[in-house]
Amino acid sequence: MPDIEIRLTVNGRKFARRCAPHLRLLDFVREELHLTGNKEGCGAGECGTCSMFVNGVLHKSCLLPVAKAQDAEIVTVEGLAREDELTILQRAFHKAGASQCGYCIPGMVMAATATLRRNPHADLEEIKEGLGGNICRCTGYQKIFAAVELARDVMNGALPATALEEETYRGSYIGASVRRLDAPSKVSGALRYAADMTMPNMLHMQVLRSPMPHARIAALDVSEAATMAGVETVLTCNDVPGVDNYGVFIDDQPVMARGVVRYVGEGIAAVVAENPLIARAALAKIKVRFEELPAVFDAEEAMQPGAPQLHDAYPGNVCKHTKIRKGDVERGFAESDLIVEETYETQAIEHAYLEPEAGLAYLDADGTVTVQAPDQNITHHRHMLARILNRPINTVRLIMSPVGGGFGGKEDMLYQGMLALAAIKTRRPVRYVFTREESFIASAKRHPFRIRYRMGLRKDGRILATSMYMIADGGAYAMSGPGVMNKAAILGAGPYAIPNVRMDAICVYTNNTPAGAMRSFGAFQSEFSTEAHLDLCAEKLGMDPIELRRVNAMRDGAITHTQAQLGSVSLLRTIEAAAQAARWAPGEPHRQTRGEQRPDLGGNDTRKPCTLGARLARITTPANTVGSASERKAVQT
Amino acid sequence: MLTYDQYLTPRSLAEAFEAIGRFGAAARVVAGATDVLPWAREGRAGDVHYAAVIDVSRIPELCGVELRGERVRLGANTTIAAFLANPVLVEHAPVLKHCAVWFADDQIREQATLAGNLVNASPAADATPAMLAMNSVLTLYSSANGQVRTRSVPLDEFVLGPGQTRLQPGELVGSIECDSMAGYGAAFEKVGHRRSLVISTVCVAALVRLDFAQRDFDDVRIAVAAVGPVPTRLTECEAFLQGKPVQPDVIRGAAELAADRVQSRTRREYRREVLVNFVERSITDALAELGISVSSASATKEVQHA
Repeated sequence: MPDIEIRLTVNGRKFARRCAPHLRLLDFVREELHLTGNKEGCGAGECGTCSMFVNGVLHKSCLLPVAKAQDAEIVTVEGLAREDELTILQRAFHKAGASQCGYCIPGMVMAATATLRRNPHADLEEIKEGLGGNICRCTGYQKIFAAVELARDVMNGALPATALEEETYRGSYIGASVRRLDAPSKVSGALRYAADMTMPNMLHMQVLRSPMPHARIAALDVSEAATMAGVETVLTCNDVPGVDNYGVFIDDQPVMARGVVRYVGEGIAAVVAENPLIARAALAKIKVRFEELPAVFDAEEAMQPGAPQLHDAYPGNVCKHTKIRKGDVERGFAESDLIVEETYETQAIEHAYLEPEAGLAYLDADGTVTVQAPDQNITHHRHMLARILNRPINTVRLIMSPVGGGFGGKEDMLYQGMLALAAIKTRRPVRYVFTREESFIASAKRHPFRIRYRMGLRKDGRILATSMYMIADGGAYAMSGPGVMNKAAILGAGPYAIPNVRMDAICVYTNNTPAGAMRSFGAFQSEFSTEAHLDLCAEKLGMDPIELRRVNAMRDGAITHTQAQLGSVSLLRTIEAAAQAARWAPGEPHRQTRGEQRPDLGGNDTRKPCTLGARLARITTPANTVGSASERKAVQT
Repeated sequence: MLTYDQYLTPRSLAEAFEAIGRFGAAARVVAGATDVLPWAREGRAGDVHYAAVIDVSRIPELCGVELRGERVRLGANTTIAAFLANPVLVEHAPVLKHCAVWFADDQIREQATLAGNLVNASPAADATPAMLAMNSVLTLYSSANGQVRTRSVPLDEFVLGPGQTRLQPGELVGSIECDSMAGYGAAFEKVGHRRSLVISTVCVAALVRLDFAQRDFDDVRIAVAAVGPVPTRLTECEAFLQGKPVQPDVIRGAAELAADRVQSRTRREYRREVLVNFVERSITDALAELGISVSSASATKEVQHA
């Protein structure tokens, strides 16, 4: 396709470049001008990390064809401050600890700048609305809002400029606000994530992914794709020189599908080409003949006789069964006054870090292969890669690029093997950047659990026996699943002193997207059910739910059901603090009261319902003047 | 991924129709272009290639807002941001500013256009119910033998179903004309999974004019979206209120008529409850804009998120 000439002013400098006509403003700025401060998080106008000023108005640059911005004046995050300086807003983000992973922060800084330009006195509601088009997955937004309010107050003179400076050290870091060392690079856009990295002669990778949940690959023909102009190589499982079978606890995963695909989104082949466009075109030329296999999408169904089998080494599809037994659970139930049973289910959850997976791999002159990627477990990944590549480990290097949000989702290795193979085979640097959609379909999720709960209690609230039978949908590959089962079984019963405990955590292969590591690693699912179950028990006992927890709380020196002796246990103090903060009225059967009757609603520290329209009040509406005051009064009801 | 060989920015209707004639179905017409890029991605249209994208946002005939007697003309390229910023719209189309704050986010509102929202014909389009409530009529342009021809289609006939309108190949939306609603109280209610950047699960636009002498409803316009394939006016609620006194039970009575309008296949019960409460609250909020407070317990009740 013919190039077009784009003329733009970016951060005060004029540019005239010939480029492909379909580039978005974001592509033009990042790939042509190498201004990588603004990021791509979704490519669909949802996340806002690409927000840039176009003729003074903030736009999502992933929604703007660059030709639409012809002759415009663009300001990116790099253009907000002069060299070696930060704007007041950027300094406020630094001071307030508003940046965590930092990937959303360039967009947040831009949106905050736009909000305060529009109204230098914007209140919190208006700030929230101004940042409404920008998503952050780390902070919960509160520190970002605090930063914008701080900047506003400094700009308006309500606070002195010294308010932006670091707090003086007063003998303890506990309770003190300590600035993050890497925050300046995040608020300025200087920090380079994997997708921001380029190298001379760099190639680009795209991956063909399975449209089938379970199928035999009867034929895979990459010859047409491999001979396309601009395509350097096409990789399949045949290119793996070492042991093509890796995993965290169980080696069950190939770098690319080997004869069988087990979930929708599984990588089958990787095209390495001069640019992503050619690579994508080549993907379409790869011919795959699938023979569909019966698939299973429910963990319990997968455990039944006759269910489709995913891995030969694990008949019955159970890849891990963690059992913990303490005391005599059946006797505990027999001695109980009340037995409460319930089944709980949790769903798969996508981490949705703002930074989609990305990586850059290259060969050093001595043949060492280096992969730079936002890996949350580089040492382990390096060991696995050495085996996959059949190389001595001292010729395999992993460099952890800044992680633009991980939450455990970048612990389980997924694409690093393909990248390393591509660099070795082509002897050129190779970059691979996932799309948001690709990140969704290919990467591991939180394990969905089904938990059969049985708890025996005395009338006074003492728990005598707990039985948790947990079945987790591990998806197509084990990944971190066995560890997640262990955590669920170790922590699931909660911080309660229970004489008789029976824990079963079972991880099952299915043809769903693999589940892996995610924040709290199995404790979230199991403890959710425990706390929900305690509320249910309190209701059945006619007991205050806080009191029920107090009665059963572990104390200092307690021994857990895995025989760990605890030193100090802060649970009781935590419960007291939470009850006080929630203005919990003891004895009140809260679970029976809902809606406006709840006594703990409203007040300074409760969250107000979502509203919009902070700016509407400033717009003069002639309608407000209709009717005289007396007429208005007359129809009031 | 969206690719194209040419990006054309015609500066006149004649240029635009020349390009449309030249490329036919191989071209895609865009104005704000905020929907086409997310559409051409995995999971929706996938990779899409056009010979040309024709950007009509710089055609003067498609721009501008003006008052024409009792009607307001909005150029097709009127951005959603103009709903909040344009003084004519703030005064004569007061429901639009309420609609705007719920529409996408600040940044997309600067780029997305009114005609784009109407032409997309999403069942959950936010601007469509607001424009329906103001008796909007579209002016469509086409070209034959070098001459630009126009025809008018009322908005309630224009949208046929999800993604389907009466717009013919080669036709462009030129403008949208609606009633001047100066003096009406207005409200817009919307709920979705979050506050900004969300597709409506239910949205309601309302405009209320009072007969202050008679102390009753003089003219009420209510339209809904996201509860059926096509946004619609709640004519039965409007007729119920006509001439009735401004009282909470009257408003509640009108609102309850709306429940059966829910045709969605998903979350029907939720939508029925929300729709009734939204109709009640939108009338109450529109009255509040006129300085009338109507106390009603359920009117102030917050709708829980879907």
